[in-house]
Amino acid sequence: MRTKFFTLFCIVLVAGLLAACAIPPATPLPGEATEASAPTEKPTEEATDAPTVEAAPEPVELSILWWGSDKRHEITQQVLNMYTAENPHVTFAPEYSSWSDYWTVSNTKAAGGELPCIMQQDYAYLNEWTSRELLMSLNEFIDSGTLDMSDVPADFLAGGTIDGNVYAIPLGVNAQAFIIEKNVFGEAGLDIPQPDWTWDDFEVLAGEIKDKTGIWAQGADLPAEAMWKSLYLAYGEWAFNEDGTALGYENDEPLIAYMKMIKRLQEIGALPTAEEGTEYSGAGPEASPLVLGKAAMDYRWSNQVVAVVNAAGKGREFVLVPLPRPVDGKQPSVYIKPASFFAITSTCKAPEEAARFISYFTNSLEANEVLAAERGVPIAAQVRDGLKEKMDPVTGMTFDFIALVQEDASPLPPPDPAGWGDIRTNVWTPIFVDPVLYGQITIEEGVKVLRREADAILAQNKR
Amino acid sequence: MSATISTSTGKTSVFRQPTNKQIKGWLQTLAYHLSVAGLGFMMLYPLFWMIASSLKPQAEIWTTVSSLIPSSIHFENYLNGWKGFGGNSFTVFYKNSFIFAGVGTLFTVVSSTIVAYAFGRVKFFGKEILFSLMLMTMMLPNQVLIIPQYIIFHKLGWINTFLPLLVPRLGGGAFFIFMIVQFIRGIPRDLDEAAMIDGAGRSRIFFSVILPQLTPALVTSAIFSFYWTWDDFMDPLIYLNKPQLYTVSLALRSFADESGGSDWGAIFAMLTLSLIPVFLIFVFFQRYLVEGISTTGLKG
Amino acid sequence: MSKIAIDAASRGNTATSTMSKKRRSKNSATDNLTGFLFVSPWLICFLVFTAIPMVISLWLAFTDYDLLGSWSFVGLDNFKRMFFVDKRYMSSIVATLKYVVIAVPLRLAFALAVAMLLNNYRRGITLYRAAYYAPSVVGGSIAVAVMWRQIFGTQGAINALLAIVGIQGPSWFGNPATAIWTLIIMAAWQFGSPMLIFLAGLRQIPKELYEAAAIDGANGWHSFWRVTFPLLTPIIFFNLIMQTIHGLRAFTQAFIITEGRPLDSTLFYALYLYQRAFVTFHMGYASAMAWVLLLVIGLVTAINFKLSSLWVHYETSEV
Repeated sequence: MRTKFFTLFCIVLVAGLLAACAIPPATPLPGEATEASAPTEKPTEEATDAPTVEAAPEPVELSILWWGSDKRHEITQQVLNMYTAENPHVTFAPEYSSWSDYWTVSNTKAAGGELPCIMQQDYAYLNEWTSRELLMSLNEFIDSGTLDMSDVPADFLAGGTIDGNVYAIPLGVNAQAFIIEKNVFGEAGLDIPQPDWTWDDFEVLAGEIKDKTGIWAQGADLPAEAMWKSLYLAYGEWAFNEDGTALGYENDEPLIAYMKMIKRLQEIGALPTAEEGTEYSGAGPEASPLVLGKAAMDYRWSNQVVAVVNAAGKGREFVLVPLPRPVDGKQPSVYIKPASFFAITSTCKAPEEAARFISYFTNSLEANEVLAAERGVPIAAQVRDGLKEKMDPVTGMTFDFIALVQEDASPLPPPDPAGWGDIRTNVWTPIFVDPVLYGQITIEEGVKVLRREADAILAQNKR
Repeated sequence: MSATISTSTGKTSVFRQPTNKQIKGWLQTLAYHLSVAGLGFMMLYPLFWMIASSLKPQAEIWTTVSSLIPSSIHFENYLNGWKGFGGNSFTVFYKNSFIFAGVGTLFTVVSSTIVAYAFGRVKFFGKEILFSLMLMTMMLPNQVLIIPQYIIFHKLGWINTFLPLLVPRLGGGAFFIFMIVQFIRGIPRDLDEAAMIDGAGRSRIFFSVILPQLTPALVTSAIFSFYWTWDDFMDPLIYLNKPQLYTVSLALRSFADESGGSDWGAIFAMLTLSLIPVFLIFVFFQRYLVEGISTTGLKG
Repeated sequence: MSKIAIDAASRGNTATSTMSKKRRSKNSATDNLTGFLFVSPWLICFLVFTAIPMVISLWLAFTDYDLLGSWSFVGLDNFKRMFFVDKRYMSSIVATLKYVVIAVPLRLAFALAVAMLLNNYRRGITLYRAAYYAPSVVGGSIAVAVMWRQIFGTQGAINALLAIVGIQGPSWFGNPATAIWTLIIMAAWQFGSPMLIFLAGLRQIPKELYEAAAIDGANGWHSFWRVTFPLLTPIIFFNLIMQTIHGLRAFTQAFIITEGRPLDSTLFYALYLYQRAFVTFHMGYASAMAWVLLLVIGLVTAINFKLSSLWVHYETSEV
């Protein structure tokens, strides 16, 4: 509603100025004015038109937007071509960019009321987008079978579900992992940790790695916001409360204990110091201390092991191990997370066709052979099983890892609340992690600041 | 530091060396070349690094990140990179970039010169206010203008065309207008006045008196405008929403993703290639900064 | 100041003022028309493509517009929050000012020095100019980010050089006191654009003035202060204004290399503004930040213009 008023305001201003100045473009002004008022009525028209679309196989063009690297662009385009070959009445208008540009461009499109039909979505922003009614509930299509989710475990769908409505279909799943360099462990005579290891085990192991190899036990990313959430998940809690209006835990002790462990390990040189850590944070999997041979393990999402192996080169072996859990924790720290989603936007003119395509994307073994689990391990059981043997060993490793985690994982927590981007950008690193690790404030002061600031942001969701 | 520099410049470019001090002159030349070339190598380090990375095998780019010498030469990075992605090769991206940067530069330089002449030489009502407004446009961060501008172009139906990128350049660029104004103001008025007494009108003065004097400024504008346009990815990102319309700079951005899995060898290869047009433009135009054109018609 | 330059200037000025006075009385209407005609391309594009978005962003500065939909009018809340509550905002001001105050003069000094060094007809000069311009061309690409991290890394090239003279180099990126220096040095290193402008400016200085100065017995240093500097002042002034604006709006380097870390010591104003606008959905707040920046840059530029009459020498007297 407000967006429309906003665009209208712009149009009136443009039109007014054009008229006032009487400059050359003023001639098409009348036509422009009628054209300008038309879009405001369009959505309602289409809403009534929508059901008729499904009956007639009229040619439709689906616009689709995703982020990723060159490889993803290539294989996704191939699948679009395959789909058009099978369904000649559906063509695509694809658009893609890197992650860092993706949100600039999609936010601009959202503000301009010009979103593509299908867009890739992220767990962290899903709530932000649905709360503004930019995405469409897919329940209707799942019920009618257009969007066939019968082969997908309910757990996997939960990640895209808000208040009983499925807004987004996962394109693959991954889980947090420690990527471990086998050779380094072997040379030092250390055992690969068991899947149910604890943070205490980790601390002992880290000390041994430091003693025996002289390199860091871990890269720089342990103080990550995802770890904060996993930490409380292990206690059966979550960083946020159910309606996302405040932090979801009372006891700050687990976080304090975790940060203290990091500081202890930094002191003995088993972890990069705050200063060294800053050098490597956000460098991406390819330039991580693990790849550079400066650390024995690295904390990553499981699908990133492919990038690590490619960058590290031949003769180096890696293995995936689930996150450690707190000694007194109730359940694992690790959970299976949708790596990314496809969602249908509320301005989509052919949602039925869009849903049919997403269904194909999820269930077609042929398509997923091309996609090669690049967006994470596929969610449909048959696809996953059919694909497994055909994968290269490294990607196969991520399949095995997901299977392993699935046996003993915590249930998937709800999508991050609106304001999560704000907390991550303006609170977690700049006023909690950095000041604590650089010794500007104590850990105890830090967790108080974190609670106060995060609560203030989340409180805005109460409206 | 600046003392020695100005001395050498003064001696070499302005004063004739006496012949009996020729040896000293040679030594100075040698010292000049040694120091300039040495410093130049440091300046060029990033280019060498990038070219080296573009030739390395995939697994070596990050593990031997500080080495300038690849263990084996991999030209296939260039071939792989050129293929592009999603069915569009770099042939397409280069074509788009040449349209954007070529036409954009032409528009910018021509318009900026015309507008600058008015600001620099003509006395007209409201000039100060307009000039301040123009400077103001350079002071507001673009980030807050993106969305309103997108909506305007969207309503004009210009999304997915080059119009939103090129039409605004018909108004020149504030930076270039200001720069050319400064150069115009450095041109002695005597010349205008003389021409005016001869009965020349505004446009004749502009074309026959001012324009020839402005060559260095226009050359500089062309070099910058081309590079900045070539390098700009934000406008193409917002307005060119079809991969077959992507420019080189946008394609390079879309190539690499933070989550990993990019073909870095190909990225560095394409990055290296993308600098070639910018360099060619520079080398072509900077000749006009060597040949002294501006001294004609001036008596010191 | 140079006698020659002043002579030239005063000649120009007197001629100008008498002439233009005469003309102005005669055909100022024609001048108005010509002026607007020549300015019209810019004016039209400004009104259509820039003025409206600017007005909208000013209006948004008083709302809590969140980019994806809703907004409501919040009065001065954004500004209050900025000045009295938001600690990161203050960090961004500190980082930006530090950067501008150090990097701008450094970059201009480098640019002018090298421009003078390269303002001759020696063999290979094209190659040298290309070499010195090169760093500015690689600009803000991802390659530069990777390379810069490597050069300033704890085991990087800079610290290797320092180790030769026995200095234990810091963790440049990791230390809040040194992180901003990596960006300052980068700015100084990418001096290509002001250098080229200086080079063009030096081209415009008539050689006869140097010859006349030489006859007066001026050596290199003197001729710099008597001829080069005064005649180059409009260009120095332009570069100073533009580099200051550019510095206050600096974004790319911090965005791709440091992301504001550590401890917000490299959080440039424009980077924080971008985060607010596109990462945390506070477009209203970002618009307010943008207009505060505009006021500050406007003020700095106005002061620069006022002070310019003290040292900038124009061939023509009118603005």
